[in-house]
Amino acid sequence: MATEDLPSDFDIVILGTGLAESVVAAACSRVGQRVLHLDRRSYYAANWASFTFNGLLTWIQEQNEEPKPEEVRDWSGLTEEGEELIHLSQADSASITNLQVFSYASEEEEEEEAANTTEEEKAADEEVVKESSETESADSKEEEEEKEGAGEEEEQANQAEGEEPEADQPHPSSPGQSEPSREKISYAQLVKEGRRFNIDLVSKLMFSRGSLVDLLIKSNVSRYAEFKNVTRILTYRHGNIEQVPCSRADVFASRQLSVVEKRKLMRFLTSCVEETEEQTAYHGRPYLEFLRDQQLGDNLQHFLLHSIAMVAEDTPTEEGLASTRHFLRSLGRYGNTPFLFPVYGLGEIPQCFCRMSAVFGGIYCLRHSVHCLIVDRDANRCKAVIDSRGQRISCSHVVMETSYLDRSKVATPPRFLSRAVLITDSSVLPSESNQQISMVTVPPEGGSPAVKMVELSSSSMTCIPGTYLVHLTCRSVGSAHQDLSPLVTRMFRTTESQEEDRRPSVLWSLYFNMADGMASQVEGQPLPSNVHICHGPDSALGHEDAVQQAASIFQRILPEEEFCPPAPNPEDIVYDGDNSSTGEDRGDMGQDDGQNPEQNQNQENPDPEQNQNQENRNQNQENPDPEQNQNQENRNQNQENPDQEQNQNQGNPELQRVGPEESPSSS
Amino acid sequence: MSMEDYDYLFKIVLIGNAGVGKTCLVRRFTQGLFPPGQGATIGVDFMIKTVEINGEKVKLQIWDTAGQERFRSITQSYYRSANALILTYDITCEDSFRCLPEWLKEIEQYANNQVVTILVGNKIDLADKREVLRQRAEDFAQAQSMLYLETSAKESDNVEKLFLDLACELIREAKQNKLDNNDTAPMPGEGKTISYLNCCSLN
Repeated sequence: MATEDLPSDFDIVILGTGLAESVVAAACSRVGQRVLHLDRRSYYAANWASFTFNGLLTWIQEQNEEPKPEEVRDWSGLTEEGEELIHLSQADSASITNLQVFSYASEEEEEEEAANTTEEEKAADEEVVKESSETESADSKEEEEEKEGAGEEEEQANQAEGEEPEADQPHPSSPGQSEPSREKISYAQLVKEGRRFNIDLVSKLMFSRGSLVDLLIKSNVSRYAEFKNVTRILTYRHGNIEQVPCSRADVFASRQLSVVEKRKLMRFLTSCVEETEEQTAYHGRPYLEFLRDQQLGDNLQHFLLHSIAMVAEDTPTEEGLASTRHFLRSLGRYGNTPFLFPVYGLGEIPQCFCRMSAVFGGIYCLRHSVHCLIVDRDANRCKAVIDSRGQRISCSHVVMETSYLDRSKVATPPRFLSRAVLITDSSVLPSESNQQISMVTVPPEGGSPAVKMVELSSSSMTCIPGTYLVHLTCRSVGSAHQDLSPLVTRMFRTTESQEEDRRPSVLWSLYFNMADGMASQVEGQPLPSNVHICHGPDSALGHEDAVQQAASIFQRILPEEEFCPPAPNPEDIVYDGDNSSTGEDRGDMGQDDGQNPEQNQNQENPDPEQNQNQENRNQNQENPDPEQNQNQENRNQNQENPDQEQNQNQGNPELQRVGPEESPSSS
Repeated sequence: MSMEDYDYLFKIVLIGNAGVGKTCLVRRFTQGLFPPGQGATIGVDFMIKTVEINGEKVKLQIWDTAGQERFRSITQSYYRSANALILTYDITCEDSFRCLPEWLKEIEQYANNQVVTILVGNKIDLADKREVLRQRAEDFAQAQSMLYLETSAKESDNVEKLFLDLACELIREAKQNKLDNNDTAPMPGEGKTISYLNCCSLN
């Protein structure tokens, strides 16, 4: 079925389905642009993707494969006079490096407990054998790439070998253990239940009042996903995990803080919301200095700097305060922490925007790429692209992810992120609920960078019950393994250790470096003015960078248009010929999206029962389908809106959204 | 939610090759019409119909593929939290039947374990062009433990039945789940949805 050819004329061709590209796709389709959205990968979301366990193993394998030599084909037959070609890269071979996998889960089938020393050779199934060889290859690759730290390299290699089940096997669970129900999860189980994992390549959280949440709400893309609150903020300090009190309730409930500290913290949090002269006096000086001078004490200083502002000690005060305010603004919107996490993982979010684009006519094709751009030499504009089947597709704009650029044109990203993904068997801070989603901040220590850690429980639908998914992220100093494994060995059990060791055991881990999108620069000859580049995920915790990129690209392409106006609520869309349509007119919102003059914003509510809830609905509705609107004008003339209140409220749809339709359990 | 005027809300998702009549089935059921031609449904995410079954109001939210099936590029998130899947093929098109295993693979990958799946052979009004024998489809459905139904969106044959049967099955399962109440795995929809976000969006 995929033999069908793509249409050959679009307004916008988008390559790559990462977050920024997907938001651009949704925004453009939404206002009537004809969008073609391609990705050469077989999955959505590029480096923003989430994988099942098995999907991740495949991804790892793909990363370790030698990139195929790029076939250069002669497309000159498809060009016309005055046109030239810009060849695009056919594989993303630069953004992921230093991949290493370690498996500590037992290899035996669930039944037997002992006898593992004799069984292990038989029990090691193909999968693992394959995997360890991958690890080795990753190691050797790393050796080539990494000049320093040769000694450590060796150590890693040993450890990688130790991955073979027996050596690192985490304990036959002992009866005297603190958690008697702690069942050992075998590697076979991880594979068998692999589809219930959704393992993110990037680890980020959504600030409740960050630009992504605002955009999801504004555009109605939020209807495609579900979200969970991050339930607690933890910090690693003096070798212990502590909970960071950040909401008013937390502060008062906290047992770590003295009464005086509580008062000081509350006073500080209240005072820093607004800019004061005192704060201004500290501009340009470190935030730490400012905090010190507030006489908050060590505890509070630590919390405020590392867990709330999440900035470095030398970050200037104004920046530290801005981060603190950002945190505080998001606090309490949905829960006790300022963060939300999408159920099923972050990879859902780009897909949700793709769905929105498709709903508005965007055409989607994975496993499909573009080989070159056709540029009008005089105008220096891209007129068309040639896809992987040699089809010429004309377009007025091209948006693409950095990795599509010919590598020779991209400076090797000067900066990488170090990532580790662990599957563990218990939480770093067990509590009554085993369904916590935790953000853990680890301050920099002795030259090692600050690490952001997110621990997901099965309630996030990213791992199976009985396991936790731990994401670690920091800016790279060395390889991901060099940067993060010391912390992992401190916080988790990776080898068999004493019975009383209560740290969570690592069942499986993955380390890799990912290019820091923020740092990648395009070099060489400037691209045509209508070719727009999206860089990959950045190192920040939030999503502001991607949303901002998308908004600015959209602005360049369609300066007159609104960015992601609300999509109509399906319940409010009326089709002509629907004989049940007896609803009243919803009133003229008088704001057109400018694309289609026939589109009329007047919505009717076909279902009398729903009228009760009208106030709840977003009234700024548009009916995007012209055919459905043929008769609306007439109706408008003949009907008056009997609902006074509705008219009064039309100005601000957001304010309408309180009521029975919405979940009352929210705040 | 408590004040909403229904007893159950189910999300039903349609999948299957392009051109087998998914959208027609939805429009026939929700609006009682058969759209002439293949007008792509621009801007429509899902359709709603509330039906009454044994005195209980059941609100069905029916989602269409938004054309992403055309090049086999449906987002995984489309399958998430669906209570039921309608896997559709065209009885006059062997190819659409042959693709079913591929669709089942996607379902297995991305849909919830407890999802109810029904196989639908559409376009029985074109009986003289039939390429897939009923028996063959029934056997296939049985082997995959799916329900099976043949429909005509055009003649409105079995369309009502399709959705009402599904609704009945979903109610039965929902009641069963409530009884068992032993499932520790979060159910679809357990996360906070849109409305949750919307609710708090008053600044």
